[in-house]
Amino acid sequence: MPCVHCGFCLPACPTYVRLGDENDSPRGRLYLMQAVVEGRLSPESDAFQTHIDRCLGCRACEPVCPSGVEYGVLLEAARETVYRARKAPAVVAMLLAVFSSRALTNWSMRVARVVRALGLGGLVARRIPRNRLFHPIRFGLAMLEASRERQFGSETATSSGAPIASDGGALDAATSEGETSESAPAWRAGERGRVAILRGCVQAGLFARVNDATERVLRANGYEVIEVSGQGCCGALHTHAGDSMRARKLARANVKALAAAEVDFVAVNAAGCGAALKEYGHLLEADEEYRHTAEALAASTRDISELLAGDSLRVGAPLPVRVTYDAACHLCHAQGVRQEPLAVLGAIPQLVVLPLQDAEECCGGAGTYGITHPELGGDIGADKVSAVLATGAEIVATGNPGCMMQIGAGLLLEGSDVVARHPVELLDESYRRAGFYDGS
Amino acid sequence: MENILPEPLTKKLGDRLRGVVGDAWVIADADRLLAYESDGLTAYRKTPLAVVLPRDTDEVSRVMGILAEEDVPVVPRGAGTGLSGGALANGDAVIVGTARMTDMLELDPDNRLARVQPGMINADLTKAAEPYGLYYAPDPSSQSACTLGGNVAENSGGPHCLKYGVTSRYVTGLTVVTPEGKIIELGGFGREPGGYDLLGLFVGSEGCFGIATEIEVRLLPKPEGVKTLLAIFDRLGDAGAAVTEIMAEGLLPAALEIIDGPTIRAVEASVFAAGFPTDAEAALVIEFDGIEAGLASDVERAVVQCRAAGAREVRIADSEEERLALWRGRKKAFGAMGQIGNDLMVQDGTVPRSKLTEVLARISEIGVRHDLTIANVFHAGDGNLHPNLIFDRSDADELRRVELASTEIMAVCVEAGGTITGEHGVGLDKRRYMSLVHTPDELDAMRDVKAVFDPRGRMNPGKVLPDLPDSAGAAV
Repeated sequence: MPCVHCGFCLPACPTYVRLGDENDSPRGRLYLMQAVVEGRLSPESDAFQTHIDRCLGCRACEPVCPSGVEYGVLLEAARETVYRARKAPAVVAMLLAVFSSRALTNWSMRVARVVRALGLGGLVARRIPRNRLFHPIRFGLAMLEASRERQFGSETATSSGAPIASDGGALDAATSEGETSESAPAWRAGERGRVAILRGCVQAGLFARVNDATERVLRANGYEVIEVSGQGCCGALHTHAGDSMRARKLARANVKALAAAEVDFVAVNAAGCGAALKEYGHLLEADEEYRHTAEALAASTRDISELLAGDSLRVGAPLPVRVTYDAACHLCHAQGVRQEPLAVLGAIPQLVVLPLQDAEECCGGAGTYGITHPELGGDIGADKVSAVLATGAEIVATGNPGCMMQIGAGLLLEGSDVVARHPVELLDESYRRAGFYDGS
Repeated sequence: MENILPEPLTKKLGDRLRGVVGDAWVIADADRLLAYESDGLTAYRKTPLAVVLPRDTDEVSRVMGILAEEDVPVVPRGAGTGLSGGALANGDAVIVGTARMTDMLELDPDNRLARVQPGMINADLTKAAEPYGLYYAPDPSSQSACTLGGNVAENSGGPHCLKYGVTSRYVTGLTVVTPEGKIIELGGFGREPGGYDLLGLFVGSEGCFGIATEIEVRLLPKPEGVKTLLAIFDRLGDAGAAVTEIMAEGLLPAALEIIDGPTIRAVEASVFAAGFPTDAEAALVIEFDGIEAGLASDVERAVVQCRAAGAREVRIADSEEERLALWRGRKKAFGAMGQIGNDLMVQDGTVPRSKLTEVLARISEIGVRHDLTIANVFHAGDGNLHPNLIFDRSDADELRRVELASTEIMAVCVEAGGTITGEHGVGLDKRRYMSLVHTPDELDAMRDVKAVFDPRGRMNPGKVLPDLPDSAGAAV
């Protein structure tokens, strides 16, 4: 659909709102793309590369576009053009290489876990001086630290005297409350269909606990969960960086592995990966061999909250915590999933959801944005952290590992005790307390 | 109109401007100026010499002072949503944009006043006033994106201006930077100043007198009750007749809008689909607001008039959600035209309400004769028409036919006793029609006023008045 230049996208764009340059707005970027197509602008020009690079890819412009411009698709094409026209920055090139190899991914995640376990990340991050040069290292370490399962709400949440979750596993005391809601229907095992969980790369490497929680809550809600080997990184990082060659390679591997499993649904608990899987049909549309299976896989992909939300969602035990919900861009803008994560939180008695100002605005994480655009990404991230702190919540729930780390790192460096969690982790905890997992 | 090939900004001028606003806020390389070729009316494209984005009155004043010393023409720009080409700059002119001047300077709920920077978005002002039960009344359809500075320049209207009036009724004071860089205060709360009403002159001057850098506006308390109706018609003319009858009945709706068949189908294909029946040829959105008591009887009388005019169905929005959906559909209609065509020219004219049906029929005939799709979505209660002419820029002949049809539509409006613009301004696009509605003496009077504010003719040159040569001497 063509852009008619109405400008309705301008106020929705985090970069335009902060910079005020038309070139940093969706309308301006589309204009640059069009100029390249018309041959009026070189894809090698600094203007094209800088402003296409500076886009977060949050797609907040799509739901406000009356003409239905598919900005995300056009951006990917523009990114591919940029990627071909020049070498990617070294750090980005390295990340793309690492995540396109399963062995390298596993190895780097192992290293990351060791660093995290040693607890050095947080310590070092806070000591590295705040300046531009050190920013990537400082923030990177803080992100790693933020992926740790930090304890939250040690005061409000301990009606039974135990912290809700900690690395030490002090949970058992909390499971005996037996306050299971009367309304919770108990499903027969597996009656709602076979589900494969996309384990992902970062999610599997640093957030295995979210994957485990996803598996448990799916089972508790009547899904049969199938373990599917041979799957890997979804390739979203590559698509967004313009490296569509590697993105397609990764997509093919996933299509092959997941299609063979013959499941009803593929559950994804990372918004960016869910959006990527749902667009596999488009990514592989020129691939005769894979196209149809890719489309079928895309059609069966669901965010975890989509599989859970609904009248049939089981209600767990009370979890008296104050939570605010940040809507990951690739959940609300790219997938149009808005109410479902709130429904997941709604199934937890005594959990209070506090409204977050500009909840649907990007947190500045945006893949490698924090590394490539430390200043602007930092500003956007700082606004999100301030908004979270203003709610008075003790937990910020968000459905994407990148956002959990970005917001978590920002909070950490602010010296705040507020932690970032996936909504499913909270539901899992509520179920654990309700005793849904006893004897399993 | 001839596009002047831009000479690059001289280093000296560039450095002076950067010295005021900072390096990042002077855009001068040719590639980055492409995005500033057009505002909301893409039929015209011109590349400016440079774009400067100052942060406050002081920076605007210093920038304007430098540009005055260098004798460089200036074009103000808000969000670039204007539909008359008012923010287009020739290659020798610098655009001074307000995109970074978005602050609320003062919100005074007790006195129902707000003072804002000109880059603040119209809808953001109402959002800020809402917690106090207040709102800003003028609501151009682009209110989610357009700026208050732009609204002042164009004296913008909007659907609810039928009852509440246009921007000039709400602006109580302005801080203005003159073309020479001087800072002057016009109007202002509590000091209804003696002397000439310069504030009245400035509002609607389309950026030709100076740049408003602070805007003080009046806010209104939100009405106690609101009722919104949707009437569906099988013929556009019947909807026009209903409008005439509703107004003749003595009713004063807050808004009275017509959306025709092609527009309905564009909106319904978009994310802002509001449930307008796609087989209808016209829909009327009618809103009444005010004290709760009495609203029901107004609604009842309007329903009777709609049915008498041939409405096949009249619905009353049950919920606030349904009401907002109708308005979203109506207000996003312009943007939704991309669903049915690549480019569009939104025309803007007014006619007496009693002539609506006749004029709509003539516009439809013009469309048929020039083989163009024309979609109508407009403020019917005001007699303010917005025929949207759909075209494809790459088709030179179609563009030529759009020009012809536009001229004929303007002539029809004027012949019917109306005028060439309701709210989008004259800008670049309408100056050629000015002599249809103004005598040479009237145009001279306007020229004299312009010369008082801008003796050297540096401020938004080539706009509004027809036969002043523009900054490059190119005539339209």
